[in-house]
Amino acid sequence: MNVTRKTLIAFALFVASAIAAHAHAQLERADPRVGSTVRAAPPVLTLYFSEGVEPAFSSVQVTDAAGRRVDAGKMRVDKGNPQQVQVPLRALAPGQYNVRWRVLSVDTHKTEGSFGFEVRP
Amino acid sequence: MSYQVFRRALHRRLISPCALTATALAFIALAGFDASPAAAHCFVGSRFFPATLSVDDPCVADELSMPTISSFKTGDLPANRELDISGEVSKRITEDFGVSIGRTYTRLWVPGGPNASGWQNLETTFKYQFLTWPQSEFVVSTGVSVEWGRTGNASVGAEKFHTVTPTLWVGKGMGDLPSYLGFVRAFGLTGQVGYAIPSWRRTVTTSIDPDSGDFTFDEERHPHFLQYGGSIQFSMPYLKANVVDLGLPDVFNRMVPLVEANFRTPVANNIQMPNVWDENNRTTGSVNPGIIYVTDKFQIGAEAVIPINRASGKGIGWVAQLHFYLDDIFPTTYGRPIIPISARIGQ
Repeated sequence: MNVTRKTLIAFALFVASAIAAHAHAQLERADPRVGSTVRAAPPVLTLYFSEGVEPAFSSVQVTDAAGRRVDAGKMRVDKGNPQQVQVPLRALAPGQYNVRWRVLSVDTHKTEGSFGFEVRP
Repeated sequence: MSYQVFRRALHRRLISPCALTATALAFIALAGFDASPAAAHCFVGSRFFPATLSVDDPCVADELSMPTISSFKTGDLPANRELDISGEVSKRITEDFGVSIGRTYTRLWVPGGPNASGWQNLETTFKYQFLTWPQSEFVVSTGVSVEWGRTGNASVGAEKFHTVTPTLWVGKGMGDLPSYLGFVRAFGLTGQVGYAIPSWRRTVTTSIDPDSGDFTFDEERHPHFLQYGGSIQFSMPYLKANVVDLGLPDVFNRMVPLVEANFRTPVANNIQMPNVWDENNRTTGSVNPGIIYVTDKFQIGAEAVIPINRASGKGIGWVAQLHFYLDDIFPTTYGRPIIPISARIGQ
């Protein structure tokens, strides 16, 4: 087997490994949507990640414009879908809210981010 | 020779096919170590800086650029057509300190002359990411790049001397700007500045004049160069996850449009000759607009290469790159630092 063929096989195996691997957990979408304005106060915040997350080493905080916490309990990772995280919220008054999340993906990589949404009457 | 400007500006570093084979197989052969939290490729707080094609990104990471392909016309008179195929593999030794090894294979088409092909000199970069401020999306690394003389082919311009380049890399995301600035927060900047010091001050070539029979001496100086550049990038992934989700198709949410710029100015050991248009007498470089498409485990980038003057090249060239995030592909083996300790400021 010549060097070129060996190289191509090695590269193909490498690419196959890349496709099969886990990765950093990126925020795919959120409900309420990132940067959105909603008319009705949502009772729960849902985050959808690109990878499963480890609940013991992950956190989500929701604060109002004054910096007060408005999340009403621990975040929950969906047992059937570890990429989905939910946080119960208190009754939100109209105003701006900020979400800050830090998660550890199942491949042990940390990621974080933050975004806002607005509740209008 | 002025085509070296482009070669250096285009971040050409490649491992040989044999080395790649061995490395790739070694990746696959490695089996699970214990795992603890890691940050890895260039995440700084909420910001991800993709691996840029012309300017090195400001982080230490486990990654593989394979291949980087570029094509352009050199600044020689007349211009040569040059094709470079290059690559680079990077490995973290600790969380903050890493080593990169790379090389380039060059093919030259010389108008009216013989074509040439061969390897450029081997390059090694040692980088220490000493400052990381996640809240400010700010990162600074320092290090030194070494081009090892006599490891390439002289026919394609590989020098016989070493060149050592102490370098500083910086990255800053705009995510900490006030929220009312909206889209502006999705911008990020990176930059680098280095000082290239050749190990030889000059090369003296001796020949015999065919007419007089006397010895003649030709002296070529090897200047010190200030090498600097940067990128401005608009991160659609950042926009979607941290500013506003516009509901665009996923293919758009993975794009990072950017402009890179890379320059090289002789600052010492050069003779100023105002009518000479080579790289030893004036600033050369390129401006590269393009786009990087980011996935979870790899990215693909493509840029136009626009020379800033005739000494930098002729016409518009291009560069494209496939880049793998080895820390995501092999998170418990190759994608972890050999010694999992950190001594950086701010994290």
